Amino acid sequence: MHVSKWEGRRSYEQWKAYGLLFPSLIIFALFMIWPFFYTIYLSFFDWNMVAPTKTFVGFQNYVDVLTDPITYKVLRNTLFYIVLLLAMNLVVPYIFAFVLDLVLHRWKGFYKGAIFLPSVISLVVGSILFMWLLNPVSGPVAIVLGAFGITMPVWSKLDGWVIVGLSLITSWKVFGYNFIVLYAAVNGISREVIEAAKLDGVPLWRIFVQIVLPLSGATGIYVLIITIVQGLQYVFTPIKVLTQGGPYYGSANLIYQAYHEAFVLYRTGHSAALSILTMFIFFILLWLEFKFVERGIHYAN
Amino acid sequence: MQTKWRYTIPWHIVFLLFITTLLFPILFAIGSSFRPLEEAYNDVLNFIPWNPTLENYRIFFGSMDVIQITFNTFLIASCVTLFKVCTSFLAAYAFVFLKFKGKDVLYFLFIATIFIPFSVTMIPNYLVISDIGLSDHLVGVMLPQLADAIGIFLLHQSMRTIPMSLIEVARLDNLSHRRIMKDIVLPLVKPAVTSTSIWFFILSWNEYVWPVLMLKSVEQYTLPLALQMYMSSEGGTHFTVAMAVAVVTMIIPLLLYLTFQKYIIGTFTSSGIK
Repeated sequence: MHVSKWEGRRSYEQWKAYGLLFPSLIIFALFMIWPFFYTIYLSFFDWNMVAPTKTFVGFQNYVDVLTDPITYKVLRNTLFYIVLLLAMNLVVPYIFAFVLDLVLHRWKGFYKGAIFLPSVISLVVGSILFMWLLNPVSGPVAIVLGAFGITMPVWSKLDGWVIVGLSLITSWKVFGYNFIVLYAAVNGISREVIEAAKLDGVPLWRIFVQIVLPLSGATGIYVLIITIVQGLQYVFTPIKVLTQGGPYYGSANLIYQAYHEAFVLYRTGHSAALSILTMFIFFILLWLEFKFVERGIHYAN
Repeated sequence: MQTKWRYTIPWHIVFLLFITTLLFPILFAIGSSFRPLEEAYNDVLNFIPWNPTLENYRIFFGSMDVIQITFNTFLIASCVTLFKVCTSFLAAYAFVFLKFKGKDVLYFLFIATIFIPFSVTMIPNYLVISDIGLSDHLVGVMLPQLADAIGIFLLHQSMRTIPMSLIEVARLDNLSHRRIMKDIVLPLVKPAVTSTSIWFFILSWNEYVWPVLMLKSVEQYTLPLALQMYMSSEGGTHFTVAMAVAVVTMIIPLLLYLTFQKYIIGTFTSSGIK
């Protein structure tokens, strides 16, 4: 009797749990999981989003996408975005977090607060501010550079430069959040190890590489992953507002290109095929997240 | 002490220069928004409004229904925040304090939603919301945003710090889960709930990608859409007016952040991914 009461309570708890998860689950199912499968479905059809019938074309959309030179241009752009975003939003804030935690002793609160501040501002605002600040003829940056005899490139019209410009704008917003998360990880490392190394006269860069990086590694990987996953989606806004993917697909990344195919060219199948390819890349990152990050969350404390 | 300063002063200079660079665009926008157009155009660099004017704001308020647009933005952000925090709180509670079959699979599924880029969901969501007649409607903007794995994750991290024994004792005393949530868990994770709410509000206030797909008529617009429209329709020449629109768009998130700065930074600092 004791056992059955316990059993009854357990199954009651189970249903209670499912009940609590239900609101989130229904939203995820309707607006995330079902659309995911529907996009896979659409990737096998030729359609323009308005025609009453869809034509089944098998893998033709994937063949089209994979034989289109623009896809490879977009892939190269995406890779360049990833490299720049990681340099600006993982490497630099990691070093800054290390310095703020272990080298500086004053004004820490002010520095943290000020560095985080741009993270709360809309990327549309950021795009428009930087459009003026980085205007290659009349903007303040061009004027200052001009005083030193440097001519600013017309960055929004040049392959390569345009990606640098848009990554800078995005990083202005992303940097602060990543910095705070990395600072917390560095700050959470036991002081004894670091103090001992300092007393032994170990140079700072070695403390960073040999002690801080391994001990805050899970957070480092977490920031690496979200910088790629969210960074590529954040960049969408400045691309849409400022360049619309131009000059000639020079600033389009995988996400923007999927939007362009669907809502500008009305080639739903191509867009869906591109999105599914993007999803493959993101799933590799998800696997990394569970291998290195979530494990740390479950068993660290 | 001497050697210490020799190490720290260069880094203080680096930090101060860096922060000046980060904050310059904001000061530039605020300053320029109060300057007359010709003056600002001829002398971009000197952004301090020596002859302050409200003309730019008057042009913006005259060109569209700013009150309505601000209200739309506020309404979407408030509803989305309220729902997201509630759904996240309930789910996080279940994941932290209840035992049930399929917990690991469901947790994986929830976290996996963060990895679905919007390019994958945009076409089906666009079609569904159009089909039920909610495109160009504020509710259509809100619907897909009512749950968020990030919120579940942040509250999960905060609830984990509550000792399990506290909940077990309450359960032995036959306290219902509703009472435990309301009287024990909520007071203990209140800082995390507050900062998650403010963070969601700011995110939704700034949201651009989904609203720009959904909303077609100006009276349904949110502030980021209005800002973008003003730029394109004016060909980008009315730069001081654009700066005024930028200031109106960013003022609420900035004030919220400056008020709740300690909470927000505290939550991201203690979300504890080690």
